[in-house]
Amino acid sequence: MEKLQFMLILLLSPLAQGIIKKLKAMMQGRRGTPVLQPYYDLARLFKKDMTIPGTASWIFHAAPYVVFASVLAASMLVPVFSAGGRPSGLLAGGGGFFGMGDIIAIIYTLALGRFFMALGGLDAGTVFGGEGSSREMTVAILVEPSMMLAIFTVAAASGSTNLGVIANSGNFFFSPAHVLALAAFFVAVIAETGRIPVDNPDTHLELTMIHEGMLLEYSGKYLAVMEWAHYMKQMLLFTLAADLFFPYGIAGAGAGAGIGIAAAGFWAGKMLALCFGMALVESTRAKMRFFQLPSLLGAAFVLSALSMITFVMTGK
Amino acid sequence: MPKEWVVVYSITDFITVGMLLTVVAMNSLKRMESFLRAYTINSILLAALMAVSAFYLDAAHLYIAAAVTLASKGVAIPLLLRKVVRSLKITHEAEPNINTPLSLVISSVLVVIVYSSLSKGIFIEGFTENTLKVSISIILISLFIMITRKKAVTQVIGLLLMENGLFLAGFSLTYGMSTIIELGVVFDVLMGAIILGVFLSQIKKTFIDLDLDKLTTLKG
Repeated sequence: MEKLQFMLILLLSPLAQGIIKKLKAMMQGRRGTPVLQPYYDLARLFKKDMTIPGTASWIFHAAPYVVFASVLAASMLVPVFSAGGRPSGLLAGGGGFFGMGDIIAIIYTLALGRFFMALGGLDAGTVFGGEGSSREMTVAILVEPSMMLAIFTVAAASGSTNLGVIANSGNFFFSPAHVLALAAFFVAVIAETGRIPVDNPDTHLELTMIHEGMLLEYSGKYLAVMEWAHYMKQMLLFTLAADLFFPYGIAGAGAGAGIGIAAAGFWAGKMLALCFGMALVESTRAKMRFFQLPSLLGAAFVLSALSMITFVMTGK
Repeated sequence: MPKEWVVVYSITDFITVGMLLTVVAMNSLKRMESFLRAYTINSILLAALMAVSAFYLDAAHLYIAAAVTLASKGVAIPLLLRKVVRSLKITHEAEPNINTPLSLVISSVLVVIVYSSLSKGIFIEGFTENTLKVSISIILISLFIMITRKKAVTQVIGLLLMENGLFLAGFSLTYGMSTIIELGVVFDVLMGAIILGVFLSQIKKTFIDLDLDKLTTLKG
């Protein structure tokens, strides 16, 4: 059972996207699309034919699969509701797969997917694809240091970079270092999922788009796969935030079915809270100009650096 | 002991790091109103720290000191400065001498320097053991803000922040001086703020602008 916990991310991630959209619509006084709309979109896209640009090489065809596979592989390494299992060794213990890779492996598996997404955008041969790829990589360079430093603070506090150990150690929000790291991580998640102060997920306005720009030439099944991978990445990052900063309620090794179900309930609650937070940020903030982003992400970096210093200073 | 939660949940660490955060955030703020708000939060956190210490140490005179700090630095001085800022019609700080990301990085480097140089040989034990490091970082960063900003109002706020840092340092070493001294210090700061407010208006009247670089031009 615990080995299949990544299926929750695979299957419920479009629902999370739908919930964020619905919450946003409610906050803005609109009725909004149904919560299940992302599922309908994906189903329809899977049925449609594809249009392939004439200039596209094999990279254009490979990119959707690499992106989807990398996000899926990364989500296998994340404890969703159960952090059981031995921390080392391939497939050891009764828990999930997260003995196979630590948090650094997750971040760089995601980076592989991002790299191929940017390549796919360039390969289509249009101006907007190249523009989106260039912007995406710029944002990635700015986000990565703050995300890694925030993660290292938590890892140092629990003595391991393995997510199972971090989630089991139960560092529940107990020191200033954690709060600062959480703030930095939240900004990094906003940037990684392409949400509003950084990128606008709802628009295809050519001058502002980052994520949509890269996907502009994709259609049909490839677009469906790409979008699904994007939803999964979003939910994966939410789960990561829950594991790192609010592991309260996660099931330990050898927990029974009842505890497992309760832990899944805790997880769902945390996901809803994070969705609400995202919708709130998106409804109350305006999108920043692209050249102002270094100042936001630089502030996030300073936050995470301060959290590291605070951790070294206070020892907790 | 029922008061252990102050130490267990590291309340003092949260408050002092919050103070440090408001000072670091000043580097990236541009609007005068948000500058003032950051100063207000900083002062309120200082008062809260004193109140928590009063509770933890069972010291009644610290409650008085906390209340006086809150009333003067948390309410009176911000209101006064806001009045000055509004009457002088300054809304935005001009572009600082050093751009935002670089000044953020410099201030975090300052914090690192303070922590590494104070990590050995400082002999404070107990629940405020980290407060001294934070307070010296606050003093240095406010000095840095005063150096890099052009407008006189920002420099006044930097000076007041520095005073908050000094107050925090003194407090962390002594757990509060006697009430009469604290009252004297607070009265001093209040008077200083009023004088500086008048001073700002005079600079504005004489030089039209509050940009201190322009004070070097000769007046006939």
